[in-house]
Amino acid sequence: MRNHSELIGRAILSIALLQMFSTPARAGDQEFHLLVERMSAYYQKRPMRFMGWLNFLANRFTPHNVSHFQMVIFDDIEPSRTPPGDDLESSLASIVGPSYQPFVRVHEVRSGDWTCIYTRESGKTSFEMVIVSIDSSDAVLMKMQLKPEALRDWVDEPVKKGRDSREEARQAEVN
Amino acid sequence: MNETYKRIRTNVSLAFFGGMLLGVFSLPAFGQNPRLDIKNLEALSKKASEVVDVNLDGPLLKLASRFMTDEDDREALEIVKNLTGVYVKSFTFEKPGDYSPADAEAIRSQLRAPAWSRILSARSRREGEDVEIYLMTAADGGKVLGMAILSVEPTEFTVVNIVGPIDIDKLSRLEGKMGIPRLELDTTESSQKGARQHEKP
Repeated sequence: MRNHSELIGRAILSIALLQMFSTPARAGDQEFHLLVERMSAYYQKRPMRFMGWLNFLANRFTPHNVSHFQMVIFDDIEPSRTPPGDDLESSLASIVGPSYQPFVRVHEVRSGDWTCIYTRESGKTSFEMVIVSIDSSDAVLMKMQLKPEALRDWVDEPVKKGRDSREEARQAEVN
Repeated sequence: MNETYKRIRTNVSLAFFGGMLLGVFSLPAFGQNPRLDIKNLEALSKKASEVVDVNLDGPLLKLASRFMTDEDDREALEIVKNLTGVYVKSFTFEKPGDYSPADAEAIRSQLRAPAWSRILSARSRREGEDVEIYLMTAADGGKVLGMAILSVEPTEFTVVNIVGPIDIDKLSRLEGKMGIPRLELDTTESSQKGARQHEKP
């Protein structure tokens, strides 16, 4: 009897943990879930599993002016789903939706890698940013909330920050 | 039948005339659009190893200006709050000589007189960097409508297009912000030759 209780207890704990960490988007952020769904439909692929753990850890180590960090990776994407230039931009714009404004776009010509950054206001004291980074085999989708100080950094050096985001997405893929 | 034909003809004429009027009033005056077409600069894009686009306009520009609350930002804020947009396109090349002046023709051809005038052409203190500043003023020569900054380095070519009224003397307040390069212009006598003389390219 005690063994059964222990087993049930563990099962409940496991389910709770899975609920908390293993889904790409928590219930609280339906919008990110929607973005993931749209990306999934676009690439006709599900994102990598267990990203919830990474997001949980990432949120513990993000700078103080960044919060609600969420990320998913779509690996082994079909390269033909990454059209060149303007077509890609319009596809991504339809994925992130009209409420987001295109801010920075970084294109590495030889490798064909793209990083597109979109922003929008979020309340009166912060803004939200969506970063989509695509290379020949993977696509990374990130969403985060930033405080004014972070926006200031972006406005001061958008080119550098755009490049940094590309690097961060690349690191996320490697890890 | 004749009556119907006449009515259709009148309606078509009215629609055509209305369309023309709408077209005339909804377009900016010829040559008076300070927004450059920097979206597709194919010659440079093909040779570059990296292309970066920055669009800072509309709500985002307003949002950015709202957060410029520091003492240091006060003068920059005065400029930014009147702007319509800041657009930056930066090309990075692997090595010097990977691009030629001819590749930048698509952008230079848009910066011609009478709409635009080059007000500064100088060498920056930063090694090997040339900076050109172009200004578009209203037809009466008064109000500044926009500005373009070309920063030409051996392995980097950057176009900054500022749309909206801006005081050229306060441009330095925006250096290093919004993708605008730090001009750090050499103010020695020799390097200032030709600078600030309202050249017509």
